[in-house]
Amino acid sequence: MSMQTPKQLGGIDFGLMDPETYRDISATKVITADTYDDDGYPIDMGLMDPRLGVIDPGLECRTCGQHSGSCPGHFGHIELAAPVIHVGFTTLIRRLLRATCRECGRLTLTEMEMEEYREELDRAEDLGKDPDTVLKAAVRQARKAGSCPHCAEPQADIKHEKPTTYYEVQNVLSGEYSEIIAEAMQPDEDDEDDEGMSPQALSDETGIPLDRINQILGGEFRPRDDGRRALEKALDVDLTEEDMNKLMPSDIRDWFEQIPDSDIEVLGIDAEGSRPEWMIMTVLPVPPVTARPSITLDNGQRSEDDLTHKLVDIIRINQRFMENREAGAPQLIIEDLWELLQYHVTTFVDNEISGTPPARHRSGRPLKTLSQRLKGKEGRFRGSLSGKRVNFSARTVISPDPTLSLNEVGVPDRVASEMTITINVTDRTLEEAKQYVANGPETHPGANYVKRPDGRRLKVTEKNCEELATKIDAGWEVNRHLIDGDIVIFNRQPSLHRMSIMAHEVVVMPYKTFRLNTTVCPPYNADFDGDEMNMHALQTEESRAEARVLMRVQEQILSPRFGENIIGAIQDHISGTYLLTHDNPHFTETQALDLLRATQVDELPEPDGEDETGPYWTGRTVFSLLLPDGLDLEFDSSAGDTVIIEDGHHLQGTIDEDAVGAFGGEIVDTIVKQYSETRARVFINEVAALAMRAIMHFGFSIGIDDESIPPVADEQVDEAIDNAYGRIDELIETYRAGDLESLPGRTVDETLEMKIMQTLGKARDSAGEIAEDHFADDNPAVVMARSGARGSMLNLTQMAGCVGQQAVRGERINRGYEDRTLAHYEPNDLSAEAHGFVENSYRGGLTPREFFFHAMGGREGLVDTAVRTSKSGYLQRRLINALSELEVQYDGTVRDTSDRVVQFEFGEDGTSPVKVSSSEDFEVDVEGITDRVLDAEFDNDSEKEAFLTPSESPTNLSEHTDTALSSEVESDD
Amino acid sequence: MVDVSQHELVPEHIPIEGAELDSVLEEYGLDRTDLPEIKANDPALPEEAETGDVIKIVRDSRTADTSISYRLVVE
Ligand SMILES: [Mg+2]
Ligand SMILES: [Zn+2]
Ligand SMILES: [Zn+2]
Repeated sequence: MSMQTPKQLGGIDFGLMDPETYRDISATKVITADTYDDDGYPIDMGLMDPRLGVIDPGLECRTCGQHSGSCPGHFGHIELAAPVIHVGFTTLIRRLLRATCRECGRLTLTEMEMEEYREELDRAEDLGKDPDTVLKAAVRQARKAGSCPHCAEPQADIKHEKPTTYYEVQNVLSGEYSEIIAEAMQPDEDDEDDEGMSPQALSDETGIPLDRINQILGGEFRPRDDGRRALEKALDVDLTEEDMNKLMPSDIRDWFEQIPDSDIEVLGIDAEGSRPEWMIMTVLPVPPVTARPSITLDNGQRSEDDLTHKLVDIIRINQRFMENREAGAPQLIIEDLWELLQYHVTTFVDNEISGTPPARHRSGRPLKTLSQRLKGKEGRFRGSLSGKRVNFSARTVISPDPTLSLNEVGVPDRVASEMTITINVTDRTLEEAKQYVANGPETHPGANYVKRPDGRRLKVTEKNCEELATKIDAGWEVNRHLIDGDIVIFNRQPSLHRMSIMAHEVVVMPYKTFRLNTTVCPPYNADFDGDEMNMHALQTEESRAEARVLMRVQEQILSPRFGENIIGAIQDHISGTYLLTHDNPHFTETQALDLLRATQVDELPEPDGEDETGPYWTGRTVFSLLLPDGLDLEFDSSAGDTVIIEDGHHLQGTIDEDAVGAFGGEIVDTIVKQYSETRARVFINEVAALAMRAIMHFGFSIGIDDESIPPVADEQVDEAIDNAYGRIDELIETYRAGDLESLPGRTVDETLEMKIMQTLGKARDSAGEIAEDHFADDNPAVVMARSGARGSMLNLTQMAGCVGQQAVRGERINRGYEDRTLAHYEPNDLSAEAHGFVENSYRGGLTPREFFFHAMGGREGLVDTAVRTSKSGYLQRRLINALSELEVQYDGTVRDTSDRVVQFEFGEDGTSPVKVSSSEDFEVDVEGITDRVLDAEFDNDSEKEAFLTPSESPTNLSEHTDTALSSEVESDD
Repeated sequence: MVDVSQHELVPEHIPIEGAELDSVLEEYGLDRTDLPEIKANDPALPEEAETGDVIKIVRDSRTADTSISYRLVVE
């Protein structure tokens, strides 16, 4: 295999290209619009000329002599019959036309002004500012000039008709000047005093001799500028009309050729590389065949690329233009053809110009021309360069597996034997590699490809695997199947934050889905209603090491967004720990051991006491077994009590979302920060396992009866709502009587609305309270709400008590018919039920009208989410584009690519959010940690001293090889 | 009128020049035009600050006690 020398680009110059250069680099002139002859051979000087490169295998390139695949393709050119404007430069052309003299081509600025703008341009460049503002100012200034300061020629204004037409606009004497003057000299009919103006009076006023005035009135003499202005002033009329003189591309080209190099520099154009007349094309480059390959359809017909179609159009028109001109066709026809040529060249460059109908394929599909290849999401930049499809990746549906560690991912066996990891064969891996190859591509830990030291890749087949295995030697590469313990990258879109892409260890499993521990759902924002995820196998030793050290799930437990854990117990885990610790129930030895069977704990401490069934262990004692020694914590739980943990013993309080939950569970957060990621991983895994056992021990289910309240309570709810209705009726009466006093800053109508909303809000709350009072503490919905596992008391009271007011845009429902929401109500009915108050509960059932209002409120929610996701997606993209190239430098500053400082220290404090305490109340006890670790490790001070001299820290180990580590964790307890 | 620059939440803005400025530019290897910018009409700026001056801003920080940054006054 040939090693290519890396090359370094010194720089890239952007500019215009000289038509002469087009001709120089052109492999051939293209003159015929045809592509292939009847035998299927490319036609000479046609669009598929073999000098433009070859795509058919077997043919030889007539320019470089190479065959398809190695021939890069070569540009050709078309000589345009008449110059046309390049659509990409229309604004620049307009600017130049406006800023330069049509006579002498100089910039219509005085030398002094030019010098000023030159300096300003330099200054903008120094300060890294946008030079465009200076250029715009210069053009504006130049446009103001009525006449050229260099040759005194008066300047006409330029009108630009998009996309490619320019007019010179001049005020000239109207063709009907004599009529206008005669009309103005007539007396005003409505004004009796006005006697009009006699030719003599006009002559006196304007100073034009009387006979001239008569000649003018007779239309025999056209007054010059001075005379015209005098007449206009005397008669208070406008004698001019706009004269639009179309500028043909050839005129513009001639004009631009006169502009001196020194003048366009003021306009920010580097005359060395880009002459303005090159924006008007006289030669059209023909892209190489390799850039527009034709494809052969199943029926043997050739289908040409869109660009080729467009080039065919251009050549046809070009030829017709030339023929017509040679035949001396009338100017009108020539102009039409010119415009048509302009259209085809314009759409060849960009087929999405506003105001121009897009060129279409025969089928009606708009053609994909040059701009369309580059622009947008699927364009060359965003679609092919920034993001492209990759090998060694897999995608399938995900499903949960609580028996996996949070670091692991279950990979279907069929994925594991299709995706491979490249291993370099050395003396140490030789036997292993041979075994994989010997197993072949179909037996699971096998191999699919091998690569010989000479770079040749061989496919491993069932037939050749035995023989191939004997040949394997050091220096070969083997693409072996994924096996347990391999590190892979796992991702769920949309990848909105760092934790959307994490490294997992492979566990090969049967069936077709990726399996993951439910505790990693929050960072991926995944659920199992059909979500799919992507997996990438890493191909180099370096990338595998980096992924293991930096990207493994356990290294991502703390979120850089808020500095607390994003991975922790969720949903049933939390219900489970709540049931286990809230009432501190008793367990027999068998029960306690059963709870702990999925953890590494296999010995129980001394029992907490003895009851009728024998010795017992409490739920808190069982939970304590998962806690690391020496952990001291005190915090308030969301269940409403105070949790106290001393030296790894849970003494008091309920373990709920605030203790072990994802998004800032206090215990998890503390363990990551004070112990280690590994200890936290073990803790989260074990809490999840224990909680699942606990919830299964107690049994946990919910049904419709769990949301019912006794009839007494129902009556109380009804009463509360009736009372509110009564108060609202009173309010409405007061309002109708005109006695309602408005609140400060509100109208009476607004005041009424607010008071009604308030009353109904209170009614719903008291209905909720009544319902809440009648729920037992062990009601599963209550357990879930109190522990923070799922749902809220509000959800519950809506199910049992009263759903409450439905709102659209933060107000009661006011839309629908004129003066009423539904035809069921009188116009101007202000009552609660006519504006979307739902007095029933979900369990009791909504009336049809209530249901309708509820759907209105619900729809708003759906629309909001849809709009929010699209808005925030775009915002995210812009933010990422703005920040993606910022980098923390070795001097600690954050800088952009041009070395400008963005922050003098990262985050203005140089700290990572995950490395500092998440709140002022919970300082990380650094001293305590060091003391504890050192005391546990060393028996005497001299050993301790020897250790404290700095050394290399160990890299992270695979979960499969870290039995040593987990026993170490255990010995901690 | 309220002088915003005197508000307790507005950090100190101190113009620096001469040796102090040189040492800052030296430390970070910067031209003064590479500095972040602050508009000359920013109400947090002291009265005497002019376009082209460099301002040292001292902020309070929970994590770092004080955080110092520098800005170039621009139009
Ligand atoms: Mg989903
Ligand atoms: Zn070639
Ligand atoms: Zn001139």
